[in-house]
Amino acid sequence: MPTLTIDNRRIEVPEGTKVIEAAEALGIMIPRFCYHRALGSVGACRVCAVKIVDGTRKGVQMSCMLDVEEGMVVSTDDPEAVAMRRHVIEWLMLHHPHDCPVCDEGGHCLLQDMTVSGGHGLRRYLGNKRTHLDQYLGPRIQHEMNRCIQCYRCVRYYREFSGYRDLGVTGIGNRVYFGREREGTLENPFSGNLIDICPTGVFTDKPARYFGRRWDLQRGPSVCIHCSLGCSVTVGARYREVARVEARYAKAVNGHFICDRGRWGFPYTNEASRPRAARVDGEATTVGEACAAARNRLLHVAETAGSEAVACLGSERAGLETLKAVAGICRANGWADPLFWLERRARENVAAAVSLLGDDLVLSLRELEAADCVLVFGADPLGEAPMAALALRQARRQGAPVFVFDPRPVELPLDFHHVPLAIEDLPECIRSLVGAAGDRETARGADPTVRSFTDQLAEPSVPPPPEAVAALRTSRRPAVVCGTDVTDAAAIGLAADFAALMKAQGRRAGLFYLMPGANGFGAALAGTEAASLEELLPRIEGGEIRALVAVEADPLGLYPDRGRIEAAMRKLDLLVVLDYLDTDSAAAADVFLPSTTVFETGGTWINQEGRIQIVRGAHRGGIPVSQTGGGGHPPRVFMEEVPGGQAAASGQTLTRLSPAEVKGASEWVRLPPDTDKQSGTRAVLPDPSALRFAPERTALSGAAGDEAMLTVIAVDRTFGTEVLSSRSPWLSAEETAPTVWMHPEEAGRVPLSDGDLLEIDAGGGSLVLPVKIVENMARRTLVIPRHRDAAWQRLGATRLRIERDCIRKAQPVGENAPVKESPPR
Amino acid sequence: MLPADLREKLERTIETADHPRELAVDVMMALQEHYGHLSDEAVAEAAQLLDMSEVEIDELATFYTFIYREPVGRYVIHVCDSLICWMDGYEKLRDHLARKLNIAMGGTTDDGLFTLLPVCCVGYCDRSPAMLVNRRVHGNLTPEKVDAILDGLRESARSADETSSG
Repeated sequence: MPTLTIDNRRIEVPEGTKVIEAAEALGIMIPRFCYHRALGSVGACRVCAVKIVDGTRKGVQMSCMLDVEEGMVVSTDDPEAVAMRRHVIEWLMLHHPHDCPVCDEGGHCLLQDMTVSGGHGLRRYLGNKRTHLDQYLGPRIQHEMNRCIQCYRCVRYYREFSGYRDLGVTGIGNRVYFGREREGTLENPFSGNLIDICPTGVFTDKPARYFGRRWDLQRGPSVCIHCSLGCSVTVGARYREVARVEARYAKAVNGHFICDRGRWGFPYTNEASRPRAARVDGEATTVGEACAAARNRLLHVAETAGSEAVACLGSERAGLETLKAVAGICRANGWADPLFWLERRARENVAAAVSLLGDDLVLSLRELEAADCVLVFGADPLGEAPMAALALRQARRQGAPVFVFDPRPVELPLDFHHVPLAIEDLPECIRSLVGAAGDRETARGADPTVRSFTDQLAEPSVPPPPEAVAALRTSRRPAVVCGTDVTDAAAIGLAADFAALMKAQGRRAGLFYLMPGANGFGAALAGTEAASLEELLPRIEGGEIRALVAVEADPLGLYPDRGRIEAAMRKLDLLVVLDYLDTDSAAAADVFLPSTTVFETGGTWINQEGRIQIVRGAHRGGIPVSQTGGGGHPPRVFMEEVPGGQAAASGQTLTRLSPAEVKGASEWVRLPPDTDKQSGTRAVLPDPSALRFAPERTALSGAAGDEAMLTVIAVDRTFGTEVLSSRSPWLSAEETAPTVWMHPEEAGRVPLSDGDLLEIDAGGGSLVLPVKIVENMARRTLVIPRHRDAAWQRLGATRLRIERDCIRKAQPVGENAPVKESPPR
Repeated sequence: MLPADLREKLERTIETADHPRELAVDVMMALQEHYGHLSDEAVAEAAQLLDMSEVEIDELATFYTFIYREPVGRYVIHVCDSLICWMDGYEKLRDHLARKLNIAMGGTTDDGLFTLLPVCCVGYCDRSPAMLVNRRVHGNLTPEKVDAILDGLRESARSADETSSG
């Protein structure tokens, strides 16, 4: 490792480090525009000039282009280098408009900082400035080309890093223009990072425009809860309103960037329709009275029908404090086992994934980028966890081949091999790969469990894809990515076996699960014995369960059998709902209690790799001033109370309405003392090795061959299906209208052509959707997005098998009747 | 719309390349030859032929001096504005042309005959000042010489029109 001297301070850095990085490690921030850690060096802007006093290349050099050398002596404050930087900045500023007072970047602008710190305080250029016409780039990003200093960060990020092709740089010399071929919304679901990466105000956050300078905002570190990855974000709020979300650097998770779902998914917290007041039997009241009413009624149910007649349901979007409160209140009162899942399959899948993910195999999102071969099983990264798609792209850019085994028409911003197999065939496919990767030759050194597992492995009914086998053979750092949304426990288990087997062969193999919700992992940990609503439903229908407390959960809106859940809810004597959304369940509640969002009280979230991340609220909350003031000036009188400020964290409210005292409330979430507050810590889990290589997973499943049956899966999409972000008005334009995807062969059998209406009779009723015929998906499969307009809640389950004669072409009359058939209670 | 034979010819050429984008400039020149300039339609066609996005084509198109994204006259006059020509009277030459044609730099005459554009160095420094007219280079230019060239071009345009209409 070379040692060099920068500004009379010595530092030892790894071979290949650039001078600009070595200086940064010493805390010396050399000015930069084109250089960005995620994008690397291009040496385009010339503003990082330093003087090399001793080294192979002496004199003024670009510190981003120069590798460190042993014995190198660098001066960043040499008069020659300082003068060079000052002139370069002056020259970059020639055409920059003097509009800082009305520019949204003002106050957190790298160009402002560099101009001032570079010593260019006064403009000398008096000529005309070159001007450009701006483009409409959609509802989220404002374009202001006159401010551009041609650093090329935007295009390098957009094209090279994230892999989309509709933003480019045209022209030459003074006419260089960064934009699209013609006006229109940027196609990249990671386009919001342009706002963060642009060193000045060419791309700014459009919805947050003119709302406040950065120093006006109440800003705080937070974590994104719009998927299971748990990316780090910074929240900015003002006037009781969350104004913007920015990416926050997280070394192990999202790096520098976030997706647009995470950046603009927050409006649910500001909604005018957000329920702010407690309600009892539809009448607004105070939280105290509503808590008392809930407690009395719960007590009454327990006294008349037994304590087992009360159930409490949490969900995977709630923080760990809330989930632990759900478990605690059930235990303290002797209620039925806590529920965290609507469907049994979701519960089992996540429980399987959590129990199989050990410290020896787990990969962080950053580590996934370093894989040299990636196999994705039953996952649509862009739909389920968008930033995972960006990580796969980085792996691909380093040369890793990416294989996706999934029935959906998966799209990714990279070239990859897609094997569109029926979801039932997935375990068999993984088994065949395990067999191919784990022949006796390579398994010889492995332990007896592995050997007996590979020995017992049934001869695969389908041969493994030869390209994948060939790529695996030479891979040193293979990564297995497995979804838990459309898969089953067998595939999830085999994915872990596969990764563990490759590990046993001496490779640096890793495992990366995707999970539902932001806290699916937490939900699996909060109650190991917890059941799902699906398993409990017969007891509600049978009249055994008389009361349900739903905490940040929406059984009515999200249970995949709307008719059945409505009937079941009608049978209840009492429905108590704690939430911050105006869900169907909240509307039907006998007692409703308002909750706070992550922006207000924070919480603890465990992402899909088991990383515990604790965040605090960024602001106090309450009804935004823009709503209470009707657009006028904020009130000039001080009040003790915050309008709409009754809401409290669900976990706290739960302890208030619990008839029995919930003990140890403050000790629910205890973290190891060495927890790194910045990057979180991994949950300590029991050793999963005993669960791996279970003999029952060696047998053939062979379920999918049945030609008379079709599989229907209801899936997550990048925009429009996730519960919170699908309420964002700025993302709704990006939602694809709900359709049912079909393979041409299946469509031909009905027969149907693209755009025809298809009627599906499923377990929970019938639904009609337009057909989208695509080649790159599995046969014998119908794919439906869990979009609010798709009426997927009539399917009966999010994954089910139906007879072929359950689908038919429908006549284009009328529209889908709304899923809410009757007032539920 | 691109004529089928031209499209086929281009597709055949593209097939021989290791990477289609290697031929981006050749395809753009062929389309410009056909349309007279590289129209938005031609950009879309080039993108489709080369499996590139439209903006990727436009990046190249707007970089190069000899690819015209707007309609140009029958004779495109590129006056060299590089250093040597500038020392030898580029500005006078440019002003003379502008006055003679009654257009500013970048403009096209009303009769659609001439477009005036700059170019930075055509390798004629030893015979500066120089200009290009539809790829033909003229050096050691004086106002008289320029007038003679313009008159000659007008004449050949007239005779070509008469031949085609007659």
